[in-house]
Amino acid sequence: MKKMPKRYVGRNILKVDAQEKVTGKAIYPDDIYFDDMLYLKIKRATHPHAYLRRIDINKAQKVPGVVKVITAADIPEVRNFGLIIKDQPVLIGIGQKMRYMGDALAIIIAENKEAASQAVNLIEVEVEELEIISDPLRAMEKDAPLIHKDSNILATHYLEKGDIKKGFAQADVVVENEYKTSFLDQVPLQVEAGVGIYDEESEVIKLWAATQWLHDTQADIAQSLGFPKEKIRIIQPVIGGAFGKKEDISVHIHLALAAMETKRPVKLTYTREESMIAQSKRHPLIIRMKTGVTKKGYLTACQVEVIGDTGAYASSGLAVVHKGMYHCTGPYNVDNVKGVAYTVYTNNTYCGAMRGFGATQMAFAYESHMDILAQQLGFDPVQFRMQNAYGIGSSTPNRQILTRSVGVKETIKEAAYLAGWKGER
Amino acid sequence: MKKQGRGIATIMFGFGYGEGFPDHSIASAEIEDSGKILIRTAAADVGQGVLTTLTQIAAEVLKVKPGVIRIIPGDTHLTKNSGSTSATRQTFFTGNAVKEASEGLLSNIYHYASIEFISNHAELGIKDGYIFRNDNPNNKLSYWELAKKVAEKGETLKVEASFFPHTDKPDPKTGQGEKVYVAYTFVTQIIEVEVDTDTGIVQVLKVYTTADIGKAVNPKNVEGQIEGGTVQGIGMALMEEQVIKEGITLNSDLTGYLIPTSMDTPRFTTRLVENEDSEGPFGAKGIGEPATIATAPAIANAIYDAVGVRIFDLPITPEKILKALKEKRKNK
Repeated sequence: MKKMPKRYVGRNILKVDAQEKVTGKAIYPDDIYFDDMLYLKIKRATHPHAYLRRIDINKAQKVPGVVKVITAADIPEVRNFGLIIKDQPVLIGIGQKMRYMGDALAIIIAENKEAASQAVNLIEVEVEELEIISDPLRAMEKDAPLIHKDSNILATHYLEKGDIKKGFAQADVVVENEYKTSFLDQVPLQVEAGVGIYDEESEVIKLWAATQWLHDTQADIAQSLGFPKEKIRIIQPVIGGAFGKKEDISVHIHLALAAMETKRPVKLTYTREESMIAQSKRHPLIIRMKTGVTKKGYLTACQVEVIGDTGAYASSGLAVVHKGMYHCTGPYNVDNVKGVAYTVYTNNTYCGAMRGFGATQMAFAYESHMDILAQQLGFDPVQFRMQNAYGIGSSTPNRQILTRSVGVKETIKEAAYLAGWKGER
Repeated sequence: MKKQGRGIATIMFGFGYGEGFPDHSIASAEIEDSGKILIRTAAADVGQGVLTTLTQIAAEVLKVKPGVIRIIPGDTHLTKNSGSTSATRQTFFTGNAVKEASEGLLSNIYHYASIEFISNHAELGIKDGYIFRNDNPNNKLSYWELAKKVAEKGETLKVEASFFPHTDKPDPKTGQGEKVYVAYTFVTQIIEVEVDTDTGIVQVLKVYTTADIGKAVNPKNVEGQIEGGTVQGIGMALMEEQVIKEGITLNSDLTGYLIPTSMDTPRFTTRLVENEDSEGPFGAKGIGEPATIATAPAIANAIYDAVGVRIFDLPITPEKILKALKEKRKNK
């Protein structure tokens, strides 16, 4: 059925913020200035896995221009934060553990950036080093030291549809491979940055710092500081890209603490290096995939094991790794599916959300696999995909029956046509 | 020697938080004094263009030019929860909430105008922010004049709405659930590459993309998402890796961590498959994440087609290709 044409929906109207952005008028967080503004710098962990035994801020505090250095000792009441579980400390205190190189040890507040940068290098730290667990397979071993209180395996998710044994028994060809993906940075052009002000009269902390979810970031800051939600006001500046990286708390709580401490406007802007080391990554996944197919080219079984290195803190990891597993067959009919997905803590930079959320990594596995299977069977890759692709009534690995809007076959047909897949290029 | 090849990848992506998470979005539409219609939403525009999409949806429903729509900048104290800009969900969720709020506002415009015109809505016409009786279109009231009359009664022309679809939490033992994600987007890419067998360098030449996105609210924005997502996928496929050894990042800057530049950008041909058969606003589905997913496997398959080596770990660097080519020659 052809729908009525619309006046504005389906039209290429100019982006509403295009003019502001191309003329340089858009205000990104680092463009915000106040008179009397102070600058922050964060002292980061000195070892990926170690107890903090001593922190000496004396020399840092004596740097001309330094107003204050905040350590965990100053904020005993502040609680951990985190997107799904609250496992990430705001500042690491004496006797507590640093778990990756991005952990914060102290907040330096200074009249200018130079003083803050100089002071951060003068903070002296003594640590008791622990085994660094950089490999998720090592983290899963029974004798591996625990990174948090409980198991290094943060979560195990399962998938079971049909009868996997029967599925492989029906197969004429079975292909099994291991695929690996890498740590990726989302690389938004704009690094983490923000400005904070504490209004003494209303006791409201005002923050101009990007977030992909205003009210969730507000809630996480509020619970961490022990404030009512309405005491935390976030005003969204223009956001210079996110791709998942701006779901997690970054500058927000540190800005709030410094603003309350000094009663002056404060600004914190990460360096690119800091952004890469301290903020979330795309999960590197190890995907072991075994797929069965009949001689006639129909998929009968798909079995996957997924190991996701979620780094030092949970972030979105509890949702990412198994979402990858749930997409293990791609858009193809497979009656028998079995899977297990492990989300594993290590001492690497923590992993969280990035465009595709586990499903991106999984597609590398299942679509490589589809070509390998097609080749072994002597099928054309387009034909092989077409005959296995979903239609209305198909069921996903979660056994969700697709009842509407299943245009996958049309996309394959159209793409093959556009590229001139059959015949001469 | 330079060898060309092409590869295909077809992907699906279940979008929205799904899995039983109480995912929803709240928005409101109101007649402002300034001659604008104000849309309140907390949906973050991270560059993808959701503010434009919402403007188009509101303008369509309320029968006004897009310039009349003003969307408030995100502020926890002036907006209600719209959920996150992630999970490819804003067009679908906040798009539906804004559509619903706009429809509510339009209904109320009819309601109050029908009082003014001593009529009912069947006899009323609306055009470019004016409402009138069809039998006397010159005697018309603007939305803003009407709002003043409504205000005199102590009422307002403001409607709030939300979109809150149900999903099921999958069974923890089996991952099974009746509706795990609100909807699925499908994308196919065919990618042509050229592999230099002396240097191992891969050049991505052409990318053909087809995407089942239900309905493109703004086709150019959808194409933009696909092109940007593909370039990000090229990075994942061929060059990007944050190298972390013993917990230490060895390449924590953009000298050591390479991302694609305009010189790495291929020629794009994109066609959208629009069957408008989705619960999204005007039949739309999300494209943000699906835009990047097919690229890495399509490139891996194209490299195999070109030089006959398959790389199982990303990124597919020149070193890995040269090593695989060397092994392939040895095994011959």
